[in-house]
Amino acid sequence: MILAKNLTLSYDNKKNIIENVNFRIKAKEFIFISGSSGSGKSTLLKSFYGELPVSRGNLFVNKYDLLKKDYGKLLALRKDLGIVFQDYKLIQDYTIEENIMLPLKVHKYADDVSKQQVKKLLKHVKLSHKVGAYPAELSGGEQQRVAVARALAHNPSIIFADEPTGNLDDYSSDMIWTLLKNANEHLGITVVVVTHRIPKDLGIKFRRFNIEEGVVYEAS
Amino acid sequence: MKLLKSFFSFTFPIIVMLVMFSIYLVVTKVVNNYKTNITNDYAIVVIANTPLSAIDTLAGIEVKDIEPLSREKIIKSVKDNLSDTSIDLLQKKLPYFYKIYLADFPTTLTLEKIRKELMTISNIDKVETFSNDHNKLYSLLILVQNIIFILFAAVLLLSVLLLSKQIKIWFFEHNDRITIIQLHGGSLLYSSIPIIKVMVMSSFFSSIMSSIILFVVISNIHFIVEPEIMTLIPSVLSMELEIAQIFLLSLIIPFITFFGLLVKYKLK
Repeated sequence: MILAKNLTLSYDNKKNIIENVNFRIKAKEFIFISGSSGSGKSTLLKSFYGELPVSRGNLFVNKYDLLKKDYGKLLALRKDLGIVFQDYKLIQDYTIEENIMLPLKVHKYADDVSKQQVKKLLKHVKLSHKVGAYPAELSGGEQQRVAVARALAHNPSIIFADEPTGNLDDYSSDMIWTLLKNANEHLGITVVVVTHRIPKDLGIKFRRFNIEEGVVYEAS
Repeated sequence: MKLLKSFFSFTFPIIVMLVMFSIYLVVTKVVNNYKTNITNDYAIVVIANTPLSAIDTLAGIEVKDIEPLSREKIIKSVKDNLSDTSIDLLQKKLPYFYKIYLADFPTTLTLEKIRKELMTISNIDKVETFSNDHNKLYSLLILVQNIIFILFAAVLLLSVLLLSKQIKIWFFEHNDRITIIQLHGGSLLYSSIPIIKVMVMSSFFSSIMSSIILFVVISNIHFIVEPEIMTLIPSVLSMELEIAQIFLLSLIIPFITFFGLLVKYKLK
């Protein structure tokens, strides 16, 4: 599912953030990537969906080689991913419904099917009453729940989440973890989460990668 | 206010370009109308020693008609001053006169080519193109038409630059949305749909405005131009085709500019 071979990442080919690392993530796994601030956790995650280009080595996500700069294939890969950002990245002039619908629209789902799916997801994240609201009218926790709903909308094969609970209160954090856990456990979606705060009682099997000084190693 | 400013920053260059294009279209119509009139009156006179065979084209211009001038008429006009023997001799020796009508009005240069081409035909002795009387007003109108076309091309170039600047601003304003959509697998074109919508609306508005300006100018043309010039202007200036061209141009130019920028962004 994700395979890194001698992977090196850097910004503008200056200092290497991640250097010569190798790892493999299998389908349906739940993965945590942790490390101290500035260690390169988010950098590594960005490279998984092509926001940051691979400097050297190989990185395969769903068999797509991210070293190749094929824009069309990269978009096809992204269509099959769900991404949750630390800053939510909701479109401010779209309603909550329209934001969740975004990946479904990209996939050209029929409007009625999309609306049905959004309704289901909003119920799931306990935001049914906010269907017509705009992101600015929601709290941080609510916005992140919308972001998770958006990431789940099109049944992706992998969800990447970058510090999904970084700025949230305990109630919202718990809900986000439950949503990600259920996605992995019940829908078989591979989940890769970057976080510096791994929940203690997640209740599922997971692997954890730690990043230190540009090196990725599997922590026990 | 910001939205209005952004809207007019886009529509203004299109309107200026379309107005310039309308002027070019009107002048072209006037020139073509005048050209049709003088083409119908204009003929080249050819003197040949034997009857002239059919000619299809001359210097690339279609020959509309070759009209023989009656030899009897010529003899009749000089008959009173001549003896019967002289008339017999004249009948034998008198060459054949023809008027050649062309389908298109030639330029002075083309006229010279036509003259040379006709002189290569063995039985033609003399060609009179009346090049000295060749229409000066037509040349002047062609000059005006060319100048207006050059001006239109310059305005078009300037408009494209202004449009691309405004589209870049829109891309900048929609950067967050475009990035988010692309991160979800939407193409650059798909993520630019809001920009395309504003662009189509602006183009419609511009073409309507330009058509109104054109309509007002045409309806009041007798107030604008001198009465002598009015004779050159077709009595019924029907502008349906021109309005369709304006509408097409108002869409084509912004779209070409937009797709040019899209390709540029994609290459980046």
